[in-house]
Amino acid sequence: MAELRVENLQFSRDDFRLQLDMVEIKSGEKVAILGENGSGKSTLLQLLCGLLQGHGTISYNNQSLQEIPFNKRAQLFSLLPQFSEVIFPFCVEEVVLFGRFPHAQGNSFSDEDKKLSEQQLEKLDLLHLRKRQFTQLSGGEKRRVMLARVLNQQAPIIYLDEPNSSLDIRHTLEIFELLGGRNETVISPVHDINLAERFFDRFLLLKHGRLLADVTGDQLTPELLTETYDVQVTCGTAAFTFQHQ
Amino acid sequence: MKKLLILIFVITLATSCLIGSTAINPFSPSPVERDILLGLRLPRVLFSAVIGAMLGLSGSVYQLTLKNPLADSFTTGAASSSALGAVLAIALGLPLPLVPLIALGTGLIGLFTVYRLSKTNGVINPVTMILAGVVMNIVASAVISFAKYFFEDSLSSIVFWLMGGFFVVDWGKLTLCAVVLLFAYLLFAGKALQLNLLALDEHSAQSLGINVDRLRTVAFVVATALVAVAVSHTGIIGFVGLIVPHVSRSLFGSDMHNNLFFSSLLGALLLVLADAASRSIIPGGAELPVGIITALLGGVFFLYLLQTRRERFWHG
Repeated sequence: MAELRVENLQFSRDDFRLQLDMVEIKSGEKVAILGENGSGKSTLLQLLCGLLQGHGTISYNNQSLQEIPFNKRAQLFSLLPQFSEVIFPFCVEEVVLFGRFPHAQGNSFSDEDKKLSEQQLEKLDLLHLRKRQFTQLSGGEKRRVMLARVLNQQAPIIYLDEPNSSLDIRHTLEIFELLGGRNETVISPVHDINLAERFFDRFLLLKHGRLLADVTGDQLTPELLTETYDVQVTCGTAAFTFQHQ
Repeated sequence: MKKLLILIFVITLATSCLIGSTAINPFSPSPVERDILLGLRLPRVLFSAVIGAMLGLSGSVYQLTLKNPLADSFTTGAASSSALGAVLAIALGLPLPLVPLIALGTGLIGLFTVYRLSKTNGVINPVTMILAGVVMNIVASAVISFAKYFFEDSLSSIVFWLMGGFFVVDWGKLTLCAVVLLFAYLLFAGKALQLNLLALDEHSAQSLGINVDRLRTVAFVVATALVAVAVSHTGIIGFVGLIVPHVSRSLFGSDMHNNLFFSSLLGALLLVLADAASRSIIPGGAELPVGIITALLGGVFFLYLLQTRRERFWHG
């Protein structure tokens, strides 16, 4: 298990500035990052993964991110970027197997790695696509394959940048339910507030690169969301509700 | 399939030793034929195989690290900028052992320039890369023309070298190239698993524990060393590294454990065949520079790739 601590984090690029005074995330928490486009959600994720360099302190289990070598980071956290691709015709099972790289001994994958990959394929309803080329899949199928790769990494913290983009409602529910039932910490920018409220238990609300609020589900009020998104948010009965069968 | 390909390669090597201006009877060679076989043909055929493997291997690595199916030593400008260094070294009368080193230096400058120009916000744009490669080829060609004009005393050496091909081969050259090839192959093969991850977007690869910048730099330097050493000894032989990684991928999949080996093998096979054709296509013993044959083959293949992957190129 791993704990994340962020202190006095600052990052700037062109006109954009991100500033976070203090955030602590305990192991196993499911944290959604909410905010309008350009509020800094993906930037924050990239900073937490060390893909961008900012000022301040990011530490995992009291060890500064800067001091953690690349290969050790991969055993600490995994990342599903907002846009992910595979060039050249690798098949689905090969892509999912890539997730075992941080655990691979030597220059090839073990039988155990292959067995675990197969289990991830099954969990994400991808077994029938295992021999298909990744580049030939639909957007939603690609997203699920990439998610299987991320889960296959078996890192205690999972960063997911809009995991349900391109997914239909059935697979969205399946994936959020799957994530909710796991022990790992999940930190994820999510655009669908209703889904976020249903499946996450803590919410970081960003506005113009600043942390507007750090709240739990029962503190997530329409007033707070109105302030976050600059639109009038009310709480009522939706026209349609969805429940995974 | 793999064994069949290796068998075809061995038969091609043996057959191509017998083909040329003087046909050699393998069963009862005369003393002259034996001298030709061992002193000229065998080193030449082995040399063309080694150079082909070097170009095929470098193409396989370039295509993956640059995320571009049209990348090879020629389209990235690495070959022409290496040639530029080699020509300047020849023109200035530098000692021959220095020629590949100068070629490596200018080749790396050319490749990194193309790479930096084609990368914006962490993404390599394949179209920009090809355009930057074209510009690099034009600039290198202009400087080479200037060297031919300005260094009159070295003109004949430069022109002879620029023709490319395997006209002058000795065991020393062959050994040097084979050692460089072996070193590069073993290095890449040892990193095949990491190289596979470069097929992912940069953020995914990095989050899996790969130091992408470091791995890419190592790959660039070693692949360009292959190109520089090859170019220094044979001139520019284009498109081998473009064609064979694709053929390898379609036959044996994209896994770099296979692609590195079969791109090298198919590169060797292609260049041995092209060299045999260049020695025998014109009646009367005259030879074509082998680069003409590979350029014709590669040009058609390039157009085919552009046609079949047009959507992907224009839309990123």
